[in-house]
Amino acid sequence: MTLAPDPSSAPAGPAARAVDLVKTYGKGATVVHALDGVTMQFAHAEFTAIMGPSGSGKSTLMHCMAGLDVPTSGQVFIGDDAIDALDDTGLTKLRRDRLGFVFQSFNLVPTLTAAENISLPADLAGHKVDDAWFDFLVDQLAIRDRLTHRPTELSGGQQQRVACARALIGRPDLIFADEPTGNLDSKSSGEMLSFLRRSVSEFGQTIAMVTHDPRGAAYADRVVFLADGKIVGELASPTSDSILEQMKLLGS
Amino acid sequence: MWKATLKGLLAHKLRLALTAVAIVIGVMFVSGTFVLTDTLHNTFTSLFNGIYQHVDFEVRGKAAFSGPAGTAVRNPIPQSVAQTVGGVRGVEDAVGGVQGFAQLVAPDGKAVTTSGAPTIGLSFNPVSQMAALHIRDGSPPTSPDDVVIDASTAAKYHFHIGDRVRVLLIGPPQTFTLTGIVRFGTANNLAGATLAAFDLPTAQKLFDRVGQYDTIDVLARPGVNLAQLQHAIAQVLPRNVEVVSGQTVAKENTNSINQALGFFSTALLVFAFISLFVGSFTIFNTFSIIVGQRTRELALLRILGASRRQIFRSVLLEAAMVGLVASVVGLALGVLAAVGLEAVLNGFGFGLPSGNLVFQTRTVIVGLIVGVGVTVVSAVSPARRAVRIPPVAALSDHDVAGAESSRRRIAVGTALGGSGVVALAVGLTAPAIQLVGLGAVGIFIGIGMLAPLVARPMSGVIGRPLAAMLGIAGKLGRENSMRSPRRTAQTAAALLVGMALVSTIAVFGASVSRSATSSIDQALSADYIISSSSTAGGGNGEISVSTASAAGRVPGVTAASTVYSGEFLFRGSLSTLTAVSADHLADTIILRMNSGTGAPALAAGELLVDTTTANSDHLTVGSSVPVKFAYTGNSHIHVGGIYEPNSLLGSFLVSDRFYQTHFDNPLPIALLVRTTAGATPSSTRAITAGLKAYPNLKIQTQAQFKQSQQKQVNQLLGLIYVLLALAVLIALIGIVNTLMLSVFERTHEIGLLRAVGMRRRQIKAMIRSEAVILSVFGAVIGIVVGTGLGVALAASLKQQGITDIVVPGSNLIVFLIIAALLGLAAASFPARRAAKLDVLAAIAAQ
Repeated sequence: MTLAPDPSSAPAGPAARAVDLVKTYGKGATVVHALDGVTMQFAHAEFTAIMGPSGSGKSTLMHCMAGLDVPTSGQVFIGDDAIDALDDTGLTKLRRDRLGFVFQSFNLVPTLTAAENISLPADLAGHKVDDAWFDFLVDQLAIRDRLTHRPTELSGGQQQRVACARALIGRPDLIFADEPTGNLDSKSSGEMLSFLRRSVSEFGQTIAMVTHDPRGAAYADRVVFLADGKIVGELASPTSDSILEQMKLLGS
Repeated sequence: MWKATLKGLLAHKLRLALTAVAIVIGVMFVSGTFVLTDTLHNTFTSLFNGIYQHVDFEVRGKAAFSGPAGTAVRNPIPQSVAQTVGGVRGVEDAVGGVQGFAQLVAPDGKAVTTSGAPTIGLSFNPVSQMAALHIRDGSPPTSPDDVVIDASTAAKYHFHIGDRVRVLLIGPPQTFTLTGIVRFGTANNLAGATLAAFDLPTAQKLFDRVGQYDTIDVLARPGVNLAQLQHAIAQVLPRNVEVVSGQTVAKENTNSINQALGFFSTALLVFAFISLFVGSFTIFNTFSIIVGQRTRELALLRILGASRRQIFRSVLLEAAMVGLVASVVGLALGVLAAVGLEAVLNGFGFGLPSGNLVFQTRTVIVGLIVGVGVTVVSAVSPARRAVRIPPVAALSDHDVAGAESSRRRIAVGTALGGSGVVALAVGLTAPAIQLVGLGAVGIFIGIGMLAPLVARPMSGVIGRPLAAMLGIAGKLGRENSMRSPRRTAQTAAALLVGMALVSTIAVFGASVSRSATSSIDQALSADYIISSSSTAGGGNGEISVSTASAAGRVPGVTAASTVYSGEFLFRGSLSTLTAVSADHLADTIILRMNSGTGAPALAAGELLVDTTTANSDHLTVGSSVPVKFAYTGNSHIHVGGIYEPNSLLGSFLVSDRFYQTHFDNPLPIALLVRTTAGATPSSTRAITAGLKAYPNLKIQTQAQFKQSQQKQVNQLLGLIYVLLALAVLIALIGIVNTLMLSVFERTHEIGLLRAVGMRRRQIKAMIRSEAVILSVFGAVIGIVVGTGLGVALAASLKQQGITDIVVPGSNLIVFLIIAALLGLAAASFPARRAAKLDVLAAIAAQ
């Protein structure tokens, strides 16, 4: 398959990294540390799962990494570029050209068809869609017969596959997946996670996935555990069991 | 992004369609006005060009000065001039003509009246090539007993050739034989005027022009150099007589018609502007709502890489598309409206010449620019709000409120409103009508921006009785209207403007009406006011001179004063001169003299001026002032007295005898009659009997005269209200829009209420309460603002005769009630929709 990027052409450094990220809300006595000095890296063609209980800071971490939220201190790099140096236009371009998103609630534009949703980032950028890549993704995700349908006419699993194609269409440096299976049944969840896994292994895609499902996290190359805004553990080549064990450990 | 915009448009079809109505109506006004006036302009131009096509020159008296609305005041020329001109080499024919007052009496004995157009009498030009009038049926007038009349009048009043026709003239009425029916050029009559034509010697006698002509039409020999001929004719003319080409006369006639059309189109365009202005509030509100509703979607687009500019442009593009579609519909409807209006005018007796509809490119361009422009400009602020939506809003569960500082809004609103008040004040005192309009716009926008400040407390107060009356449903409606003060204020803003304009007109109209009656009370002591029935309410319709002596012969009449009114130059500026009889002055007129004398000064041929003029021109009794009359030229006149201003009397007063000697064949506009018994039915009967030879007279007691003055004001008010009703309609659409959104947003909540046992009727009552609160809120502020504007407007026109300022409280309360009812009506569809929601589906919705 020649469509996947050649891994050897990937730059040497990590796809993204966070350096000593701190995010606080409120002031004085009511201050909340959503992130409390998080430093981590996302290597190229690596599938990272971020786990942690509610309020552990997973979403905040992702928002800060994607330039959607501004950290109180610390730095975020996408590739070699520090995003705190970017203005709104720069951030917009960054999101458009170098990041992809998959959300728990699918977040498709309800007025556009599936095909239009997939090509939306390219349309926004004024780029031509890579037709071969589009066809390939559509076939891989088995949504060809749904392309002319609106999101409301699709099942949850189909919607999430459309969202997945949308995230992948621009071959971004990094895809953020925020609880991508949170609204899916177990069968659809499995298909979705397998596809994400394949896109990392076969197409060299880099993915950061926030989840609290140990079975989902087991598809990742690495699991990072977060609690109270801090990294509290890490697990390479995880399995469901090893993750559960780690969680139990952390929960105590 | 194009695609997303278009699809977004389609998704909000209903809401946008409702919004578009505002633009459709505004553009319809604009295009209808243009099409109608362009068409009329075109037909009149070709009509006059056709009429003067074969008249090479017209010889006429030089204009003494320009009268009102650009009409020239000219003197007649001696008959001998026609012979002189006829003798010039190259002149084929020179035919004199005269014009004057001739009002027909219909077969049923009633005078033929027009809606404001003159009743013209003229001489029939036998040289058919040059004639303006063409015989359609019958034969031209050839004897002193003959008359021909225009085709529209003949058809409307069932005149037939051979009929004996009574005609009211300067002197006593006479009866003629109808020998023919004429057309004016290609038209059946001239813009509603009635025409009666006689042979030349008869016309000269009837119009007091023996030995004189008003104009001489000149036909050149074929092949003659016209420029040289015009020069040759000019050489032989006496002083104060000029020769102009037929084209020039045609152009002058066209221009004066165009000027009249200009006023008409300006008036219509003002209403177009009002509709669009009110509409812009509705558009602003709709787009704010749409942006609010699409917060998540817009934020999502931002996450996926849409730039701020793309978001901004997409909202504006959406507005432009709506504006474009609405403008096109408006343009088309405008053409229909023009056709309809033309038919209405014809129905009122304006014999408009038929012509093809003129649809100029300018109409399309202006319509599109105005329609699209207003929509886009109104959407700028919502678009800016859309831009400020943070991308992360797509991910959070709760709405991230578009954080716009209300402090900035208050500052801008205060500044706008404040400068509006200043502009209005300056404009009213200057006076500069554009500044007044600009000021009003500033005030409305300013108040629109400040209204959210009071929306919550006012909704609370307005809603309290509803809550008390309707229980929980009313209470929830009240809460809902208080929940988002900004939205409440935005929704009510359009209605606010509409109600403010209606109230302004109500206050202004009541003040005009009251001022008119009080000026009658203060100026008239006569028991009867006799005027022409041609124009409603004793305006400028003319009556025969001989009516005065006829009235004087009626038993019981002690005084009959003729009233004249005409233009003269007072110290070089065009002014209106009024004349009354000096004899029995106190029996007909009340003059409150500040200095000098009344009747004796008038009898001595002196001028009376009011104190306003005396003060501004530094005049005292005995001052000699230069004046100019068209008929007699320049002279000086002594000021014999100074009286308290009165709008009925005007600023300059002379005796009827003085007037008759200084004006050419003047016709009175009214008779003032005093009787021994006062205004009693028997006096009325006696006067009616004594004047029955003049069926064009309207005999009114002082009380009836007052009523007819008020009726005139009220008729005009009625017309304005109808046009403003469109603005209110547009405002209502905004309310429907907001309520629909309210229902949509609270689907879950409504489902919940239904689930816990709220009945459909109660749901409806809740939505209706909200609607009533919204509209009453807008109406209350609007009425307060409008009353202020109306008082300011009336106060600024004190010099023009608005001496009394009246706030018609009962009318304003009626407006408030109507607003509440309209609110109820606006709620009917949204309420039904809310009541129909499926309980289970509604609860599931989120």
